[in-house]
Amino acid sequence: MDFTISEEVNSAQQLAQQILADFTDVDKLKALEQQEERFDKALWRALGEAGLLGLDIPEEHGGTGLGFYSLTTLCEEAGRTVAPIPVVPVLVSAAGTLRRFGSGAQKEHWLGGIASGTTLVTAALEEYLNDDPGAPSCSAQKMDGGYSLSGTKICVCLAPSAARILVSAKAGDELIVALVDPRAAGVSLNAQVVTTGETRHELVMDKVQVPTADIVATGREAAAAMEWALLATRTALAAMAVGVCDKMMRITGSYTSEREQFGRAIATFQAVSHRVADCYIDVECLRLVTQQAASLIDQGRPAGEAVTMAKIWCGDVTHRVSQASQHCHGGTGVDRDYPLFRYCELARQIELTAGSSARLTGELGGEICAQHLAKAG
Amino acid sequence: MNIELTAQQKALQLEVREYMKTIMTPELLEEMKDPELKEGGGPEFRKQYARMGADGWIGLSWSKELGGKELSHIEQYIFTDEVVRSGFAYPFLTTEAVTPVIAANANPEVREEVVGGVRQGKVTIAIGYSEPNAGTDLASLTTRAERDGDDWIINGQKMWTSLGNFADYVWLAARTDPDVSKKHKGLTMFLVPTGIEGFSLTPVHTLGVRTNATYYSDIRLPDKYRVGEVNGGWKLITGQLNIERLSLFTHGQVDSLYQEVCEWAARTDAPGGGKIIEMPWVQHNLARVKTGLEVVKLICWKQAWSMDQGPLNMADASVAKVYSSEFFVELYRMLLEVMGQAGTIARYSPGAVLQGKIEFRWRVGAVLTFGGGTNEVQRDIIAMAGLWMPRTR
Repeated sequence: MDFTISEEVNSAQQLAQQILADFTDVDKLKALEQQEERFDKALWRALGEAGLLGLDIPEEHGGTGLGFYSLTTLCEEAGRTVAPIPVVPVLVSAAGTLRRFGSGAQKEHWLGGIASGTTLVTAALEEYLNDDPGAPSCSAQKMDGGYSLSGTKICVCLAPSAARILVSAKAGDELIVALVDPRAAGVSLNAQVVTTGETRHELVMDKVQVPTADIVATGREAAAAMEWALLATRTALAAMAVGVCDKMMRITGSYTSEREQFGRAIATFQAVSHRVADCYIDVECLRLVTQQAASLIDQGRPAGEAVTMAKIWCGDVTHRVSQASQHCHGGTGVDRDYPLFRYCELARQIELTAGSSARLTGELGGEICAQHLAKAG
Repeated sequence: MNIELTAQQKALQLEVREYMKTIMTPELLEEMKDPELKEGGGPEFRKQYARMGADGWIGLSWSKELGGKELSHIEQYIFTDEVVRSGFAYPFLTTEAVTPVIAANANPEVREEVVGGVRQGKVTIAIGYSEPNAGTDLASLTTRAERDGDDWIINGQKMWTSLGNFADYVWLAARTDPDVSKKHKGLTMFLVPTGIEGFSLTPVHTLGVRTNATYYSDIRLPDKYRVGEVNGGWKLITGQLNIERLSLFTHGQVDSLYQEVCEWAARTDAPGGGKIIEMPWVQHNLARVKTGLEVVKLICWKQAWSMDQGPLNMADASVAKVYSSEFFVELYRMLLEVMGQAGTIARYSPGAVLQGKIEFRWRVGAVLTFGGGTNEVQRDIIAMAGLWMPRTR
C-alpha cells in the first residue's frame, strides 16, 4: 500500500495548475461564456503544447504516456479552475477508449491530433434516461462497408467542432462502438443548453452510414470498451469534482474569514466554521475514494465497485459542498459577478452526468444482493 | 499510488485473523456474556491476554530494546484492525498509547515492573484523565498531588475510569502546581497501583458498558511512580491522543457487522416471499453502508501510511475522527433498520438477530462522537489547520 504520487505525475499536475491559472481569470471566463461555443481553444492548444493532453496517450502516438491516474489529476485541476475545456469527453471517454480498444490504424489516425490539440474527438455516452453506453437504445444495422446507425444521444460536448463522435449502438444482440462524423448525412445536431450555461447538442442519427474504418469495436470487445469508458468517465468526473469542491470550500473559507457581521468575521461563529469544516471532511472522503478508483483503473485492476462508490460520493459531495458554500456566502454567492456560481453549476452538471448517487446506490445494492444470495446458495 | 495491501501485508492480516480465532475460546465467549466482564477482566480474559504475551503478540510496535518488533504503522494498524474485529477486549490504550510513554519516561524500576508486565500480558492500565468538571477542557482538572518527602499525597476524583475495576494501575493526571490558572502547565503524570490504600471506586452503568468513578483519598504514592517531569504531564497526555484514535476507529470491527447483516439478510425469508436482502430499501441501506465503510478503510490506511512518512497532519487526524465516529453511528442505525423490530431484541434474548450485537454496538457507540476529543473541537481544528480560518469561540 502506497499513497505516494510519483514525481512525474506531480510535476505534470503542477504544470497544469500553472497553465490553467493563466487562462482562467474571471474576465476570460466571462468572454468565453458569451461565445456560441464555450471552448477555450487557446488554452487547449497551450495544454497540447505542454504535453498535457496526451498524459494517457502512449508516446508512439504523440502522448507522454504517464497513464490514466495522471490524466485524472488534469481533470481535478480543470475542475479547480472551471476551465471551459472538454477534458472528460475528449481525453477520457473518447481518446482513452480509442487508445485501449481502437484498431492500429484508428490510433495512428486520431491519437496524435488529440494529443497535440489539433483534432477533437468527443464522445456521446448518454441517452434519455439511460447512462449506460453498454446498453444503448440506438440501433445499428450491418451493411456493405460498415454500419448504419439510428437513434438519439444527448448532451454531447462540442459536437459541431468534433471530427468524430464516439457512440455505441446495438446491432441486434451485438454491441458496436463507432466514430460518427457529425457532418455525415442523416446526422442532426440540436442545441441543448445545460446547467453550466453551455450549449451542448442532442445528436439524432437517422440511418447514418459509418464506414468500417470508423468502427472501433464490436461484440465482446465493444462491451469491454463501453465498460471501460463508463468507469473511466465516472472516475474522471469524480476527480474533477474534487477540484471543484476543494476550490468552492476554499473560496468559502476565505470569504467567511473576511466578511464581518456583528463586529466580527463570520468564520469565528462555530455555526459557520463547522459548516465549512464539514465540506473539508467531505472533500477528503471524495479524494480518497477517487484516488482509489483512479489507481485501480490505472493499473488495469478490477475497478467496478470502487468506481461506483466514488461516483456516489461524487454526487453527494458536489451537492453538499455546493449548497454549504452558497449558504455561507449569503447573497454574495448567488451574484453572477462573484465566481462561486460557476462552481455550483459545474458541480450539479457533474453530479447528474454518467449516473446519479441514487441510481448508483440502487445498482450497488442490487450487486450486494446478488453476491450474498449466490454465497448463501 | 497503489491503495491495496501488499502480499506481505495480506499475509500478516490473515495470520492475525487466524491467531485471534484461537484466542476467542468458547470459555471466553461464555465469560463475556456477563456484562461486567464484557470488556475484559475475567479469568479467561486474563488467561488469553497472558497467552498473547507469551506468544509474542503484545507490543509489536515497541522498540526492539523494549522487546517489541518495531512494526511500521501500517503493520500495527493491520494487527489492531484484526484484533478489534475478533471481538477480544485487547487493552489497546495500555499497550499502544500508555506503555510506550511510560517506557520513555518512567523511573527504571517502575519501567521494568510495568512495561515488563504489559509485555507478558499480565498488566493492564486504566486512564485517569476526565473528572466530573474536566472533560473536553481537560486542563482544568483539580485532582491534587502534593509532595511530602519522598512521596506524593494524592486527593481527588476521576470519572469514566474504564477498566478501573480490574486494571492494575491508573495512569493518572494530577495537578502539582496549586495555581489552577496555570492549567496545563501545572499537571504531572503518575501511575497509581489500584491496590494502594486510599484508592476506591464505584461502578457507573452507562447506556453501553460499565465504567467507573475512581476516588483518591490521601493516597501516599512513592515518587518512583511519578512519570516524567513535575509539571510536565501535558505533553505526555497529548502525545498519545492520536495513537488512541487510531485504535478507536478501525475498519474491521464495523465491516464484519456489515458482512454479518448481509449474510443474515440473504438467508432470512421476507414475509412476501424471497429473502430480506431482495427488498429495495434493504439493498439501499446496505449499499449506503458499504459506500461509507469504504472511506473508513481508506482513511485508516491513509493515516497509518502517513504516520510512517512523518508526523500526522492535524486536520487529517481530526477528519478521521469526525468522519469515522459519525459514520459508525449512522452505520449502526442503517443496519438496525434492516432488522426492524427484531433489531431491538437484546443480547441473548430469544429471537435476537446476530446475538443482538448491533443493538449493543449502538449502545456503546453513543460515546464515539464526543469521546477521544469531542467532534466540535475537531471541527475547530479542521477549520483552523485545514482551511486557515480564524479561531472560533
